Amino acid sequence: MTSTDVTTPALDLSHIDLHYGYVRALADIDFHVMPGEVVGLLGDNGAGKSTLLKVMSGAHRPSEGTIRVHGKEVSFHSPSDASEAGIQMVYQDLALVDAQDISTNLNIGREILRKGPLGWLGFVDTKAMRKRAESELDRLGVRTAPMTRPTEMLSGGQRQVVAVARSAIRVSGDANGVLLLDEPTAALGYEQTKLVEGLIRRMADQGIAIVIVTHNLPLCHEVADRVVILNRGRKVADVPMRGTDPDHIVGWITGARPSMFEDRAS
Amino acid sequence: MSTPVSDSASRGAPSSAAAADTVVPTGHDMPRGVAALVFLRDRGIFILWLLLILVFSFWCAPYFFTWSNAMLIANAAALTAIFAAGVGLGVMSGVLDLSLPGTAAFCACLTGWLAVNKGVSLWIAVPIALVCGALVGVVNGLISLQGFNPIIVTIGTLSVLTGLASVITGGLTIPGLDGLTFMGTRRYFGVPAPVYIVAALYLVGTIFLTRTRDGIRFMAVGGNAEAVRRSGIHSDRYKVMGFVISGICAAIGGLVATAITTEANPDASPAIIFSALTAVALAGVAMSGGRGSLPRVLVGALILATIANGLIIRGVQTYWATVITGVLLLASLGLERFIQKSVSDRLMATSNLSVHQKKV
Repeated sequence: MTSTDVTTPALDLSHIDLHYGYVRALADIDFHVMPGEVVGLLGDNGAGKSTLLKVMSGAHRPSEGTIRVHGKEVSFHSPSDASEAGIQMVYQDLALVDAQDISTNLNIGREILRKGPLGWLGFVDTKAMRKRAESELDRLGVRTAPMTRPTEMLSGGQRQVVAVARSAIRVSGDANGVLLLDEPTAALGYEQTKLVEGLIRRMADQGIAIVIVTHNLPLCHEVADRVVILNRGRKVADVPMRGTDPDHIVGWITGARPSMFEDRAS
Repeated sequence: MSTPVSDSASRGAPSSAAAADTVVPTGHDMPRGVAALVFLRDRGIFILWLLLILVFSFWCAPYFFTWSNAMLIANAAALTAIFAAGVGLGVMSGVLDLSLPGTAAFCACLTGWLAVNKGVSLWIAVPIALVCGALVGVVNGLISLQGFNPIIVTIGTLSVLTGLASVITGGLTIPGLDGLTFMGTRRYFGVPAPVYIVAALYLVGTIFLTRTRDGIRFMAVGGNAEAVRRSGIHSDRYKVMGFVISGICAAIGGLVATAITTEANPDASPAIIFSALTAVALAGVAMSGGRGSLPRVLVGALILATIANGLIIRGVQTYWATVITGVLLLASLGLERFIQKSVSDRLMATSNLSVHQKKV
């Protein structure tokens, strides 16, 4: 972590409650992630991790609680609000344009236009866009295929890398943003998982705050600085990854181990 | 993969009009087998056309391979090509617009009515028809955006427009549109006017799709609207644009058809949409959207006309042209599936290797 000196969390959620009708999906959750930190969000099915992720990405509005981005209180009405605040979500269904090449996928929505009259007509500068995509992937250390390769002709790991990079590029602008990853290594083989793990670590080293929702404990061991564990809508543990007994983590996930925060339960 | 990454940028530099279809990138940076297969997928239709020309040149010698016959084929293909551009661009952006014949009839009859009954100058009536085509597209698009199936919506507007065309003309054709021959039967430098219109339409369309920001997004929305939406772009706008472009193409088609016969006919001919669809499918434009190129669609239309022309020269009954076209279409489906499967097999074999390349 390069940004340990930074004391303001990149994303800070406090006392988040979320009700679906009578169901309390999230109960009094505190969660934060520092710039350059990788936090694993763990929990069994239905524990509320995806719901919490949706609160962070602006897809759900919490019933109670406040969200702060770099110390500033925000209120997300839609994912585009979150995106504007510098929070990008990478969904499990990568949503790549299969028939288009890597460069187009990385550049869409922020195309470089040609200079002069052709630019006014909306002509794009394909070469410049390829160059930029190349250098951006180089910076992330994951340039694994030519920019002109259609994404449908990439391996699963490469596709994941392109999808993550597309979001990473968008949050690593002026202020370091927050990247939310939903099961980034599901359905990937061993080598490809290593590729994505390397990418996650490098993004964190560049100061991006990263939240990973996953079932995959080995992934957390590899990349996470800290894990937050949910059980039935409550936060039951918030511990640094290093030095924590994996059996304890499994215990928290399954509910066999009592919550660290029992006093706060209502 | 032994190809150095830096070489990949040199893939571009397309010079000819055919090479301008960079929407589906060619596979110069792929493993060799894949590159050949991708070439066959993207350029196969050009080879097929050349083969057809070669076969007919010998079989129908000396009448087939002449300048005047080439113009006949080009002229015969023109109307199909105009509608195929509309259908093709629509399908690439993810919408299948079946109302094209209705739009064409409506716009043509409106022009005819304005010019003949109201004495409006054609220089005003023709642009009005084009604007009308665009407006029909906007209506189609806005209705479809409400979540209705575009096919059903456009069947509905097809019916409405065909009816309206007849209402305008009182159910009869409007004859005497001699002023339109400049875009119908007239020839310039020995080339019929519709051929120029087709050439201009496809040139503009191809440049739009492959060179401009809106064209690339337009294509991407057809491929994966969600991906585009997540990139912060209003994908709905591009869906409406698909209908608008289709509508304008239909209006042009209607005007050209009217110009050729010098009368505006309110009877929409749904047959035209099927020959247009045949050209589009032959060109390998995926019906699921996001894939395809206009030059190939043009060659698709030319293939249909070439087959019909060659068989006519040989005195074969024209029904056989339809049969052969159908067989070609089915064969092209088979070939496409074969290529798809071979490419993915080959990529599977090398995918793990490529992951290791340039790992920092």
